[in-house]
Amino acid sequence: MDRQSDTTPNNIQNPADNLQISNDWQVLSPVAILYFTVSLFKHLFGNLIYLIPVLAVSYKSVFEHPLIWLPGILVFFILLTFFAFVSFKVYRYRLTVDSIEIRSGIFSKKHLNLPFIRVQNIKIEQPVYYRLTGHACLQLDTAGSAKNEAILVAIKLDFAQQLKTRIQSQIQHHAIMDPQQDNKSAATPEFEVESASRQIEHENIINQRNLSDLIIHGISSNRIWIFLGGLAPFYGKVFESVSEWLTSLGINITELFNLQTHSVLEIGLYVLSLTMLVVLVLVSFSVVGAIVSFYGYTLSKQGDKYIRRSGLFTKHEVSMRLSRLQMIVQKQDWLDMLLKRIDLKFEQTNSFSKNQDASASNNKIIVPSIKLEESQALIDDAYPNNSLNRLICNNGFESISKRFILRNIMLLLMPTWLLITFATLVNNKLMIAVLFSLFFIGLCALVVLRWKRWGIARDENFVYLRKGLIGIDYYCFPIYKLQQTQFKQTLLMKKRQLATVKFVLASGTLKVPMINQKLAYKLIDEGLYQVESSQKSWM
Amino acid sequence: MLENHFSNANVSTEQLPAILTLDKQSLSEQYAPLNRVLNLSFTLLICLIGMALYFQSLIDLPKELLNSMPFVIFGIAILGFINTWYSHQCDKAKFYAIRESDLHYASGLFFRNVVSQPITRIQHIELKRGPIERKAGLATLQVFSAGGDMHTFQIPGLPVETAQQLRQFILQHKDVVKHG
Repeated sequence: MDRQSDTTPNNIQNPADNLQISNDWQVLSPVAILYFTVSLFKHLFGNLIYLIPVLAVSYKSVFEHPLIWLPGILVFFILLTFFAFVSFKVYRYRLTVDSIEIRSGIFSKKHLNLPFIRVQNIKIEQPVYYRLTGHACLQLDTAGSAKNEAILVAIKLDFAQQLKTRIQSQIQHHAIMDPQQDNKSAATPEFEVESASRQIEHENIINQRNLSDLIIHGISSNRIWIFLGGLAPFYGKVFESVSEWLTSLGINITELFNLQTHSVLEIGLYVLSLTMLVVLVLVSFSVVGAIVSFYGYTLSKQGDKYIRRSGLFTKHEVSMRLSRLQMIVQKQDWLDMLLKRIDLKFEQTNSFSKNQDASASNNKIIVPSIKLEESQALIDDAYPNNSLNRLICNNGFESISKRFILRNIMLLLMPTWLLITFATLVNNKLMIAVLFSLFFIGLCALVVLRWKRWGIARDENFVYLRKGLIGIDYYCFPIYKLQQTQFKQTLLMKKRQLATVKFVLASGTLKVPMINQKLAYKLIDEGLYQVESSQKSWM
Repeated sequence: MLENHFSNANVSTEQLPAILTLDKQSLSEQYAPLNRVLNLSFTLLICLIGMALYFQSLIDLPKELLNSMPFVIFGIAILGFINTWYSHQCDKAKFYAIRESDLHYASGLFFRNVVSQPITRIQHIELKRGPIERKAGLATLQVFSAGGDMHTFQIPGLPVETAQQLRQFILQHKDVVKHG
């Protein structure tokens, strides 16, 4: 297991050459047991969020019968550690000149053989418990299914870095040798070699987020609502214990909100300040969350590769080649609108991030809460001849049919409203009917707003989409990245010459509802033409 | 390298091949009748199970349930027949089209849907044949792209020979050979 440590290079000039390649199977460092324990735990419980309701139901009985529960939990953890230990024991890996082999698995044995040239994505992750020993995980993704990924669980950080450089240079080399693989084949070989060597040279940071940006991101991102949802089972308990605590401080809630002893204004103020307090607490949670995932955020560019690094405890590093970028998404929620900030996302293929959920660890490259001009600069850097900015300024988006409003209100909202109003009026509950009608009007207004946000535009190379409700999101993708198109039309829409178009990309689908039928056909025909005639690879 | 202009950018849209004028190929003649039979037998099966429950005396069912049973069975039967009729009409409206470099599949009666799959974006192909399809000599062609499992392009109810020919056509297509 110490074999890796003696591969540490003496000169950093060309680390790839110094990698010692041995044909023996190697074992991991024992630190890996920790990793296996944690990942087993994660695997069993998915996400801690799911645990909360279970705890909510059972925590009482845990307290009531500690003698049954504590040994149970202890045995569970011992079992967990045992399995982690066995996983560690059976894990072997072997590096050859151009491939990696991994043998793992307790019950179902797995033998993975991954040639470096098939690696699409390399990720180095350093969980907080590896920080002390200087270890890291190296994750290698292939374009295929999620099963086909290799993780070197515990190797020294600098060894991981070397391996990464080595694999990358091999991929680069392969791209030169096999011109059919890549579109750059048109260029002369000398140029290719030059670009390859340049790539190893340096990495320039193109964006950095400091603490204040992250605080803004924490405030404006809707993590709060996820948190609120997760807490739902606890509401009753929380309220009870809070009011108990307040009573012990000499504040009686029921008395405080008693209309007989206090004026309406007073109670209104109490309610307002209490809500503010709760929101403040929740926002601070969200801010902490944002800082944990994005602390020390840097986005840098090395040749044609984007690299994102961030994280307070677990340090994540995601790299993506520009050619793998499928779509750029510029998101602005209503709070972002007020704060004049934007979340920018560089989306790549979905299949890599299927079994990863936390926002910081997935393969999307997200730039949180940046300013408008920074966002535009980044978009222009990735897609130099895009015209998103011009389209936004001149409002060059074509809006969708007004029938969108009609359809949603007439076919969805109206029937529900009529039904409920009728039911409540029959039961003589006028107040509820009025309240519900107000709610209905509010929803109708939202539908109108939604219609207003929808828009589509296109130019020679890109399709641009605008959508949103109160906030505005912009989507931009190169036409040749299309995987599939869908043309949808109901008979009613056909009468009005309207159609819905669905663009299927490797990073997800985009739908444009109820646009002119002619435009829909044009979008699809042109899209297919570009995909088929350009022969550019989508990866 | 994304900004590479391709040489043909000036073709006017009127000259582009349009999906509006596809050369429609119908599915196997057996497909729609077979589906009709399957749908009908499914409805009949559920009705029969319901009736068996109604007339049997082995299990004691709640009185209310027993009383409403005939209506429920009647409702299921009517819905089943409507569904059979509707999906039969839908089946007859399904068609596919093959062009030099893409595949198309159209379906739906009230909700029309045309899916277009460029061959150059195909990752792999599968021919799927269930027991009933095997008996009828039919096959379903499934085409996977990087768009994900949710967007698998598939043409059901093809005669096996046609399906195999299509598969060969796609596998030997220059775009797949190049990028696959």
